[in-house]
Amino acid sequence: MADENDNDRIDDNQKPEKMFTLKKWNAVAMWSWDVECDTCAICRVQVMDACLRCQAESKKDSYGKQDCVVVWGECNHSFHYCCMSLWVKQNNRCPLCQQEWSIQRMGK
Amino acid sequence: MSLKPRQVDFNATWKAIKETIRGVITLDHVPRTVWNDRFSDVYSLCVAYPEPLADRLYAETRQYLIDHVAQLLIKVQQDGEQSLVKNYFLYWTQYSAGSRYLHSLYLYLNQQHIRTQRMSDAEIIYGSIDPNVAIQGDQMEIGELALQVWQTNMISPLGHRLVKLLLEAIDLDRAGLPPKIPIEAVKGTILSFVEVQAYRKKSQLQLYVELFEMPFLNASGEHFKKDAAILLQERNVSLYMEKVKAKIDEELFRARQFLYSSSLPKVADRCQQHMIAEHLQFLYSECQNMVKFEQRKDLSNMYDLLKTVPNALVSLVDTVFDHIKNQGLAAIHNLQGDSVHINFVENLLTVYKKYRALINEVFKSDQNFMGALDKACNSVINHRPNDGRSPCRSPELLAKYCDTLLKKSSKGICESEVDEKLSESIIIFKYIDDKDVFQKFYSRSLAKRLIHQQTQSMDAEEAMINRLKQACGYEFTSKLHRMFTDMSVSADLNNKFQTFLNNDKIELGINFGIYVLQAGAWPLGQAVVTPFALPQQLEKSVQMFESFYHNKFNGRKLTWLHHLCQAELKLGYLRKPYVVTVQTFQMAILLLFEKVDTLSCKEIKETLQLNSEQFKRHAVSLVDSKLLLADTEDIDEFETNLRLNLDYSNKRTKFRITAAVQKETPHEVEQTMNSVEEDRKMYLQAAIVRIMKSRKVLKHNLLIQEVYSQSKVSFAPSVQLIKKCIESLIDKQYIERTPHSSEEYSYVA
Repeated sequence: MADENDNDRIDDNQKPEKMFTLKKWNAVAMWSWDVECDTCAICRVQVMDACLRCQAESKKDSYGKQDCVVVWGECNHSFHYCCMSLWVKQNNRCPLCQQEWSIQRMGK
Repeated sequence: MSLKPRQVDFNATWKAIKETIRGVITLDHVPRTVWNDRFSDVYSLCVAYPEPLADRLYAETRQYLIDHVAQLLIKVQQDGEQSLVKNYFLYWTQYSAGSRYLHSLYLYLNQQHIRTQRMSDAEIIYGSIDPNVAIQGDQMEIGELALQVWQTNMISPLGHRLVKLLLEAIDLDRAGLPPKIPIEAVKGTILSFVEVQAYRKKSQLQLYVELFEMPFLNASGEHFKKDAAILLQERNVSLYMEKVKAKIDEELFRARQFLYSSSLPKVADRCQQHMIAEHLQFLYSECQNMVKFEQRKDLSNMYDLLKTVPNALVSLVDTVFDHIKNQGLAAIHNLQGDSVHINFVENLLTVYKKYRALINEVFKSDQNFMGALDKACNSVINHRPNDGRSPCRSPELLAKYCDTLLKKSSKGICESEVDEKLSESIIIFKYIDDKDVFQKFYSRSLAKRLIHQQTQSMDAEEAMINRLKQACGYEFTSKLHRMFTDMSVSADLNNKFQTFLNNDKIELGINFGIYVLQAGAWPLGQAVVTPFALPQQLEKSVQMFESFYHNKFNGRKLTWLHHLCQAELKLGYLRKPYVVTVQTFQMAILLLFEKVDTLSCKEIKETLQLNSEQFKRHAVSLVDSKLLLADTEDIDEFETNLRLNLDYSNKRTKFRITAAVQKETPHEVEQTMNSVEEDRKMYLQAAIVRIMKSRKVLKHNLLIQEVYSQSKVSFAPSVQLIKKCIESLIDKQYIERTPHSSEEYSYVA
């Protein structure tokens, strides 16, 4: 039998059966917001978690809220969207760099 | 007959009335016509012209009754002491019935003449006037008058002699001897003391209490004392209790037989005082042993007896508490082997259920004993061995127990059984002080079950999370919920990815599935992402998925957790085709042997860019499984060469190489404990800042108390830890000591 195996190895082209065939791969990956600073400067909560307000409200909810997304400004600073939309009502500048606030992209 | 007032001859009319009264009061036959005439006569006297004769009628009637009772008094006594009670009862029955009829005959007088001049009910009840005085000066309704006459002219002279005879009769009954006086005569006589004053608005029972009840209770008290003394001579607690219980029942029965109902509690009270309260020490003397040997009958008796005496239960409750605690500690002492966690939880539950049943049955679910059970369970479950030096392992063991139940491998247990066991584990959970530690261990094992697809049933998982939520609230389980949600989101994602591949006609060459986990929710933080050169077979999958994912979501980055990925490899070089499930790193190592039979560790490590720790762990697991052979005893990452085992064989054609992945290493336990410690510090610091922010200035002890009460939902912090946190907040200048006292802090805005 060992000989047969050796033959397999010598003559790969004749027998298409490979030594190892990868059948299936169950991958695991972690997602996080692509941000420079992982804390929201407005509510001081990690951007991966829902902002303080959402945490307080979702207590009634049985599942964790997915809706509290992140927003990036042109200045590349990022905050919870909920926190920022309250902030701009007071002052339309980025709380970190004082530049005029305009949204570059939003997390989804 | 006219209703008009007219002149009436009082003497003639009274003579007729008097004759009828005699008939009425002795229950003789009175024809209806005569009754009707007398009724009118009473009326005509009351409204007589020129002046009403009601007062005179009243006075004459009163005198008649006094005379009548005086005659009865003689009759009652005529047969001597022997028949005194019997005769009294006989004439009382007759007289009391007769006086009721008489009352009806005088209806007009009662209603029109007497009731109008009497005080209102409110005056009698709320006025401070002594009812005796008030009534004597006034005229009374005829029925009441009759009773009052009886009281003053019959009971007053005879009372004490009657009571003496009555007490003797009751003593005879106690001794079990045949009664000398008929029982109904005894009872009737006793009740007559009540009935004779029943018309009163206030202190109706005064005569009964003073004349009869007090002497009776005193005599009974003496009797109980003697009885107790006799029973005590046997020096047998359980017998004593039996007898006392029987005695109390017997006395209550007797009281019901002879006495007015208001006396029942008083009798029981006397009995309890003399037979129980005065001998508590004697009862307690056997308490220890009864609890120790769980003598249900005795304990039940003990409970019934002690319950009646205020505060007497405390000692029994304490003994029960100690006993349950000792039993609990014994049940979890020195557990060893692989199933420590199962033994731990199930032994505790056995103890808990046993004593809960005992308390339900023996102590009638008394709150005091339920409290003792709770306290005992609490101290057993949070017991720290070695005089508190070792940490408490309950949270870890309980989490492991849940893991065992929820894992696929749990053999031969049906779903409903698992469900029941899980709900029971909540009983233990509620007693745990360090719930946060449990949460850490639980979330770790949940993560493993979910990622490695070892969950028996998603329904069971969800039910368990809901139970924990019920016990501890939303925050406690929010991360567990998020992990759970990630699973369903991932399933959805996989479907969409497949559709995407099909639409674009892309072949990955492998069966690809993925879990995308939300950072922060999963207890994987500590596991650092290690460098790894991806085998070329996987590159396409990774690329395709990343582009698909970034297309679908905005602003997210993906980190591949290779140490958690699993692959199925088909081995085509052996006698039988085998399918083996391995970790990505193990897979990568094996794939290198596609073209060569032997590789040095150094080569493998460099090709895959694995760090030493990871490489060694997985190489060892492959050598242990005999898929690879090593040419040295220990695997050295520089010297050892690895060779493919071409003679490998296994009874099963499908198997898994698990060793390196799933075993909870001591290292992991330690890591978990450390992360708990960190979380607690953060939690405590946050609590301190919150409290100080609202209070501004606070004394040290008060601050400690507040912090303690806020955090006890999820764990019981040590004072030392709180102090440490205060120190570190002072360093960080969140708070400071106030200048005039070192025991006081103020908030720094």
